Amino acid sequence: MDIRSNRRDADGQSVITANRLLDGITVWRAADGSWKERITESAPVSNTDVEDLLSSLQGKAQELGLVGVYGVQVQDDTDGKIIPVTSRERIRAFGPSVHPEFSPL
Amino acid sequence: MSTETMTRAEAAPAVLPVGRYGYDQIDRTFLRERIEQFRDQVNRRIAGDLTEEEFKPLRLMNGLYLQLHAYMLRVAVPYGTLGSKQVRALARIAREFDKGYGHFTTRQNIQFNWIKLEDTVAALEVLAEADMHAIQTSGNCIRNITSDEFAGAAKDELLDPRVHAEILRQWSTLHPEFTFLPRKFKFAISGSPHDRVVARFHDIGLIARPGPHGRPVFEVFVGGGLGRTPIVGVSLRDDLPEEDLLAYMEAILRVYNAHGRRDNIYKARIKILVQALGTDEFRRQVEEEFVAMDRARYRIEPGLVEAIKARFGAPAFAPAGEAVAVLAEDRRRDIAFDAWVRTNTHEHKAPGYISVVISLKPAGGIPGDATAEQLDLLADLADEFSFGELRVTHLQNVVLGHVRQDQLHTVWQRLSQAGLGTANVNFITDIVACPGLDYCALANARSIPIAQKLSSRFANLELQREIGDLRINISGCINACGHHHAAHLGILGVDKRGQEAFQITLGGSGEEDASIGQILGPAMAEDETVDAVSRLIDLYLVRRENGERFLDTYRRVGTAAFKDVVYAPA
Ligand code: HEM
Ligand code: SF4
Repeated sequence: MDIRSNRRDADGQSVITANRLLDGITVWRAADGSWKERITESAPVSNTDVEDLLSSLQGKAQELGLVGVYGVQVQDDTDGKIIPVTSRERIRAFGPSVHPEFSPL
Repeated sequence: MSTETMTRAEAAPAVLPVGRYGYDQIDRTFLRERIEQFRDQVNRRIAGDLTEEEFKPLRLMNGLYLQLHAYMLRVAVPYGTLGSKQVRALARIAREFDKGYGHFTTRQNIQFNWIKLEDTVAALEVLAEADMHAIQTSGNCIRNITSDEFAGAAKDELLDPRVHAEILRQWSTLHPEFTFLPRKFKFAISGSPHDRVVARFHDIGLIARPGPHGRPVFEVFVGGGLGRTPIVGVSLRDDLPEEDLLAYMEAILRVYNAHGRRDNIYKARIKILVQALGTDEFRRQVEEEFVAMDRARYRIEPGLVEAIKARFGAPAFAPAGEAVAVLAEDRRRDIAFDAWVRTNTHEHKAPGYISVVISLKPAGGIPGDATAEQLDLLADLADEFSFGELRVTHLQNVVLGHVRQDQLHTVWQRLSQAGLGTANVNFITDIVACPGLDYCALANARSIPIAQKLSSRFANLELQREIGDLRINISGCINACGHHHAAHLGILGVDKRGQEAFQITLGGSGEEDASIGQILGPAMAEDETVDAVSRLIDLYLVRRENGERFLDTYRRVGTAAFKDVVYAPA
């Protein structure tokens, strides 16, 4: 996966994302291990743990029906809202900015 | 290839599509087989028998990308010409498999941004029913061959390039040696001295003209390209006879295939090879290959050209009659119509006819997007007014090639009712923009919102007319799908530590006077970029001399003054 999406600070937090194999839709990993279309339902993981989690999930992508599992750093101090730090991942999370009606939220 | 085409061409279908090559049973069987093959591959992927790494090249060969939010399907429009039935098939795909839109691109393709893997085969079946496909729209092969949107219509055209585009298409489709080139390979072909195909920014650009005994000759540009390393193609020869067209193309491809770097994608394009060897040495090697090859095998006999031509439907033009006078009167009566005719039409070679450019750039809109309903309307208008034929332009608009002048007012009214009557072709709001970060997995920044902001800011038509011809192109990353280097004013999205920023380039052109836009200075935020464009326009309006376009003023005045208005503290 692209280096820009994997940019992570040591003390930050990340959520885990992928695209669904069958329809390509962006999904985010929730605390119970299920995959949701809304980033609001995802569970941030500390960046110290994220690599281990990723490597175990990447091995299971096929059985989970996913393509390209990777971690996305999210902003601190957003009053509990989960907002990726990069523009790219914000657009993946919130949908194309030019068609707000296509947003998963 | 030639003998096969010959025998196939003799079995011409009863009703020929105007402006396109009529498929026969062999073409249709081939497409069906490809779909079955892909169906099997998709099923194996879903069952887990193919990994993503194994499947990716297979789906890309069928035009299926994985983007930010979904899969994207890119459909080829060979030499940019579509029949009304095909346009309706595209509308159906937009409606049934996408979110109601298609996006026309700078390579005369159309993209659908919300396709599901599990629906892809069904979508390809809809395409195949209309003699369309998504093959060769991705991967390191010879891509869709683009051509002049006014082919077969323009008054300034010397010959219709689409017959030779078709010959090249047949030669390149699944050519065994050319399906795994070092990198993708793009052809454009035109039959007009006025370059409307960006010939000089293609791997190979061909400009055809009539030669001795009425047979065409070609000027051959090679090694042009945009992307990370923008280069204006060099003229390899000016007088390539028609009969040697395929042999010479094959010779160029062989030299490239032999030398082209497969170890470094940034160095793999033919443009890098031509630069590394130098034009003279590259030409020498091509000539050497050319004289050594079995030219008879590739020779294009006049009979072959005639046979291919015979599979193209030709429009049956009616006599001009009163058409010219009627149009003149309609223009006198209706000022808004007159303004649209001035910007959105192009002179036709047949008396009483005219070509129409339908702008897909409404004020504040998304450049190149068409809704399913608009596509259906375009199909209806093509049937009623232009022999069932529609063209896609590399500037993300569409063209009705052959409209009778006395029907133009009706066409305009119908277009206007559907939001397709914007009179801005070649103006500042006729912006080209790639999908950018709103969809594209490779993007650094969004292209569409900045296009929309500029389009809204300059929406006033009077102001646009005052500014005159100005080409703004926007790419969301250095791949340059939006041709920003070839724009008078280009905008390039860059990544600044995960945030979007934009560079401005000035002075590019994709036409006969091809040049590469130069970076004006450091990247800026989106709103700053929009303001910077305004200041550049203001400066141009102050500094321009009699009738100069923005590009002319920039070339005369030089970079410094333009740089100052953007970066110097007020
Ligand atoms: C949205 C998905 C797209 C992806 C993933 C994509 C990918 C790329 C890549 C990787 C390159 C650089 C290739 C190279 O330099 O070898 C490129 C260049 C280009 N693409 Fe795209 N592109 C996309 C959309 C488009 C669109 C919408 C168009 C219009 C058909 C387009 C037309 C072009 C053109 C004209 C170039 C420049 C070719 C050159 O270097 O001469 N692309 N694209
Ligand atoms: S220029 Fe970059 S952002 Fe735009 S479509 Fe091409 S690859 Fe995507």
